[in-house]
Amino acid sequence: MSATAPIAANPLREGLRLQRVPKPATLVLFGGSGDLAHRKLLPALYNLALQRLLPASFAVVGAARSPVSDEAFRAELHDAVATHSRTKPINEEVWSAFAQNIHFVATADDAGYDQLARTLAQVDAEAGTNGNRLFYLATPPQAYAPIIRAIGKHGLRGPGWSRIVVEKPFGRDLASAMELTSIVHEVFREDEVFRIDHYLGKETVQNILVLRFANGIFEPVWNRQYVDHVQITVAESLGVEERADYYDHAGAMRDIVQNHLLQLMALVAMEPPAAFDDRAVRDEKVKVLRALRPISDREVAARTVRGQYATGFIEGTEVPGYHKELAVAPDSQTETFVALRCFVDNWRWEGTPFYLRTGKRLPKRSTEIAIRFRVAPHRIFNRDSSEGVDANELVIRIQPDEGISLTFGAKVPVQGFRIRTVNMDFVYGASFMLDAPDSYETLIVDALRGDATLFTRRDEVEQQWTFIDPILDAWRRGVPALAPYPAGSWGPPEADTLIERDGRQWRRP
Amino acid sequence: MAPAVIDEAVWGARVPSISALERELTRLRRAASAHAKEQGHSVARAAVLNLVVYAEREMHARRAAASTSRLSDRHPSRAIVILGQRKREGVDVAIQLHCHVPRPDETAQICYEQILARVSGDADERVASVVIPLLVPDLPVFLWWTGTPPHDTRKFDDLIALADRLIVDSADFARPDQTLAVIAELARTHGGRKFGVTDLNWTRLTPWRELVAAFFDVDAWRPCLDNIVGVRVGFGVDMDGRDIHPSQALLLIGWLASRLGWKPVDALAPSEAGGLLFKMANAGGAPIVIRVRPRFERGIEPGDTSGVRLQAKHGADLYEFVLKRDPDPRHVTATVLVNGETRSRRVLPLPEPGIEELLREELSIVGSDHVFEDALHALVALA
Repeated sequence: MSATAPIAANPLREGLRLQRVPKPATLVLFGGSGDLAHRKLLPALYNLALQRLLPASFAVVGAARSPVSDEAFRAELHDAVATHSRTKPINEEVWSAFAQNIHFVATADDAGYDQLARTLAQVDAEAGTNGNRLFYLATPPQAYAPIIRAIGKHGLRGPGWSRIVVEKPFGRDLASAMELTSIVHEVFREDEVFRIDHYLGKETVQNILVLRFANGIFEPVWNRQYVDHVQITVAESLGVEERADYYDHAGAMRDIVQNHLLQLMALVAMEPPAAFDDRAVRDEKVKVLRALRPISDREVAARTVRGQYATGFIEGTEVPGYHKELAVAPDSQTETFVALRCFVDNWRWEGTPFYLRTGKRLPKRSTEIAIRFRVAPHRIFNRDSSEGVDANELVIRIQPDEGISLTFGAKVPVQGFRIRTVNMDFVYGASFMLDAPDSYETLIVDALRGDATLFTRRDEVEQQWTFIDPILDAWRRGVPALAPYPAGSWGPPEADTLIERDGRQWRRP
Repeated sequence: MAPAVIDEAVWGARVPSISALERELTRLRRAASAHAKEQGHSVARAAVLNLVVYAEREMHARRAAASTSRLSDRHPSRAIVILGQRKREGVDVAIQLHCHVPRPDETAQICYEQILARVSGDADERVASVVIPLLVPDLPVFLWWTGTPPHDTRKFDDLIALADRLIVDSADFARPDQTLAVIAELARTHGGRKFGVTDLNWTRLTPWRELVAAFFDVDAWRPCLDNIVGVRVGFGVDMDGRDIHPSQALLLIGWLASRLGWKPVDALAPSEAGGLLFKMANAGGAPIVIRVRPRFERGIEPGDTSGVRLQAKHGADLYEFVLKRDPDPRHVTATVLVNGETRSRRVLPLPEPGIEELLREELSIVGSDHVFEDALHALVALA
């Protein structure tokens, strides 16, 4: 790990109740005045302070191009937290003690970075942050490279540990992702790099691993012999709104599929890791990504669908089509819907399709994973009585209404045999009705503790792009054509064709 | 004196036998589900644990039942409340089925069960026979003993044998000094099987322990931990000057002693107005002066910690690590002083958890908490 002087461990930390609090550190926030800092990061830090999950010595040093005073910066963050915190109203005593250790440095030029180095040294001495530094890149992606190089050039790494958190998007294709990684590696080792995918910070996503690997009954049937297919859906009812500028350059493939959808798929398909630690878990995930069957030029029309929403209705309100959104080019070819038919070519999953879909302006917001099992091998009940009985299905709902349900056939309580499908439902919020922490809170604490299990490693990102790049390439050449769908529908008819060709159907989430 | 008649509006109708009780539960569940259907809801029956509550007064039983109801949002349980009343023969069983009241935006309701077993007279050896058939299979059994656990009684031993975890509150013990030793002994003798003991007074200490530990995560202050020369812990007392046992403060000291290898030098000696003053020796044999002081401050429950001060010699300097409740009692200020000069100060929320939050925390832990047991043994060694 880091090269700190041998300081004895703190014996008072022992035991199961006191282990989550990270060691003293400074969080250096680039893009400190940006949208992400305001909406997510500062509210997350403030809520961590409220839960006493921040270390005894903790400082935030914000950095951005245009100068503001410490006081003005604190006031700006106060307002941001007051607006966006998940707990309200803001606790002024806690905030003001927390805000004492917030500083701001303008980093428009070399002199600014030198000042940042001095401020960090001063904070270490005054606040006792042990020279530990967590750099957080919350800027637009084009600023990543210059900032990382400046961290190296101006010696901003502290005498304790140094780590860097990089927000999505990590590159826009394989080449740019590899280039960004090599720039990061000029200053940080790979084990110091924390590529954030906030989906992995969600409680229910972590629960996929618990469901699979803490229970003995699922793993034996978690394979091609018992599983007919898997459907993963990330549906949003929102349009692009104020993110249009970014979105029009990215599209659903880069925004959702490359990171969130492929991560969910990896968690469902991965082999059991030997341990729950960053290395073992990520080793297994990357194996799945490597086993992902490439979608060749020849297959791209049959295995992918790209769509774009047109005018339609969401919750009874008429909404404009993508072309009419602000800041979208009227002839934009950007996809707002993607459906893929994927295969994991390994022993466990050979021949089992994974259908992935995501879209904006779908009828409702829903993220879920459905494992569809094969039907019973031999029917002993006559056809009439078991008409309408489906195969068993295990559904992991990630948002909203987190939970897990299993459907199975049961006898209707009448004379004779009538069988129908019933649902056994575990509602997360019902068995454990507590406020789940925001995923940023989970991930910031993990990064401060140096636990990278829920972050994306270099080889994962590269495998993700290796899979995505050829598809985007074909799409650029117009294969298959962009399919329009009315807002408020479950995507273009082409998506139905994609799955119906296999004799299957999309679920209605 | 407990009332001869149980309030059936609270506890449900009386049923003559366990099988009648199960039938009654089924009936009530169906009624709840039918009612929910009329409202357009559905009801899910859920249980993640068995909670056996023992109380000797109906008021305590009611209070405990109300707490378990409120806990159902996170720990839906089958709660079996045993009301042990002397002087009456026979065992009465009454049933009550509650449904968690949904918030308007919720469609799901949780349906869980609360059973009252009223045990009257000299029925010690019968208690377990009522509880065993009522337990939901495969789920852990938590035994929450309100009041002072009576050691060497058949009912206590029988229920302990059924339980995976015993929850007590030393704030309610009649003679904490004696009973804590009994609890410590219990943790030792049952250590072989999967069994844990906890004290809600220990749960109350978690934020304090967290804050004490956090000081020494700072590299510059870590060495002070090996050179502590004085500890002061304040605990709340009420205005009438009732004799309050500082069991919570002593648990905090027991925790420090067990984690840092401190040994008792002399026995606990009373000092001014109900406080204690004694010495311990650190791992190197150097003396540590320990003072436990009663404090009357508004908003602090009797027995609760009001502040902690650790003094350490480091080089020629005197370091002081101070935690103090703020006048507004929901906050604590953590200060570090070097030779009397403030080096660091932060203000943090200090929750004042009610009985439900404390239970909520304890019910989420299955198994034993060895840090607590170590602290308890260190405390007992002091007495």
